[in-house]
Amino acid sequence: MRLTVMGREIMKKILISLAVLALTATGVQAGPEEDRMAFVKYYKAKFPSVPDKEYANGVYAIDPVGRENWEAIEEFPPYEPFIDAGKEMWEKPFANGKGYKDCFPDGPAIQHHYPNWDKKQKMVMTLPLALNQCREANGEKPLKYKKGPINNILSYIAFQSRGQVVNVKVPMDDPGAVAAYEEGKKFYFTRRGQLNFSCASCHLQNTGLKVRTEILSPSVGHVTNWPVYRSKWGTVGTLHRRFSGCNNNIRAKALKAQGRQYRNLEYFLSYLSNGQEFNGPGARK
Amino acid sequence: MNKRNMIGLLILSLLMAVQVAVAADSKGDMAKMDNPMAVKAADAITKAEAARKKAASVDGEWRDTGKFIKKAEEAAKAGDYEKALKLAKKAEDEGKLGYEQQVSQRELKMPSYLKY
Ligand code: HEC
Repeated sequence: MRLTVMGREIMKKILISLAVLALTATGVQAGPEEDRMAFVKYYKAKFPSVPDKEYANGVYAIDPVGRENWEAIEEFPPYEPFIDAGKEMWEKPFANGKGYKDCFPDGPAIQHHYPNWDKKQKMVMTLPLALNQCREANGEKPLKYKKGPINNILSYIAFQSRGQVVNVKVPMDDPGAVAAYEEGKKFYFTRRGQLNFSCASCHLQNTGLKVRTEILSPSVGHVTNWPVYRSKWGTVGTLHRRFSGCNNNIRAKALKAQGRQYRNLEYFLSYLSNGQEFNGPGARK
Repeated sequence: MNKRNMIGLLILSLLMAVQVAVAADSKGDMAKMDNPMAVKAADAITKAEAARKKAASVDGEWRDTGKFIKKAEEAAKAGDYEKALKLAKKAEDEGKLGYEQQVSQRELKMPSYLKY
């Protein structure tokens, strides 16, 4: 069979559009920056009047009523005592005479270094994990990852780091880093628990809708405000404590705080907030 | 009898008392195992625990599965085998569902509403 010139052109167009179709149908080939742009575009279409920078304020970027309460709370921040306690921790030497300052010479404003891909240990390094590695290297007991004093030092570091910008890097020439990012992304989109929800079901597909008394926040901005003083907790808690809570709410068993799965989830989630300002510690319902 | 012998005797009688207590307890368990319902309940709990572990191995365990197994064990201990069986079966079902849920999503599929 001989194709005319026009016939050949049409064939070519069909082939190209088929290829494009296959790509968008899976989306698996997309890298971190493509993922982030897709999220940003999606939220922009949903909340056209919300300025980019506002996403760092979580649900209050899209909930004007909740925002009024929140602004009133921020006038007398409930997390202030935790910042003070954290400053003391930062400055107090360990039993061996060394301190956090020796592990983090450019501290305490070090929030913007985390999470990062630790080439040596071949794993995602988060700030809480780095703090505990510092403690253990100096003969101190590690702190618990969800509740308690770790939130004090995290509050102090967050406060000192306010205004820094999220700048997570996924070195694309390092297969371990790419795999960690991909695992975090997969976790985000995977349905779990008896209710069969994924993070995306609530924080992407249904962002802005109400679940019981709360409005669902966008995932862009999810990592800027930690640790958080929650009225429900009556204290300050970590990001991984919130992961556990969100897993529990859909009747899935929470995974280990600072275990591989949650750290990789944090890696993915943090990349989505690239360009947003750190403003922790935060206050939430 | 001197003091040392006294203490020796005391320790000996204490040990014997413990032994009798242990024997009595295992005799109770033996009696339970003669009951077919007890055997059934124990078997169901073993199966439930295996299903729970399998779900956990793919990060698919549900929130309450472990609690149901614990309650089943308590019920069996108290002799309420009907209740133990019911709870264990529920836990086993959850384990299987949690495992299937994860395996069926082995491949990441991006939702169509997210446009690249
Ligand atoms: C059933 C719906 C639901 C699911 C599923 C869910 N969450 Fe949430 N999440 C909420 C609600 C409700 C809140 C509180 C209001 C808000 O900030 O969105 C919340 C809050 C959060 C926050 C705090 C935001 C802030 O500004 O402090 C983070 C982070 C978060 N979720 C992450 C996740 C992650 C990661 C997953 C998947 C593991 C997940 N959530 C799954 C409902 C859900």
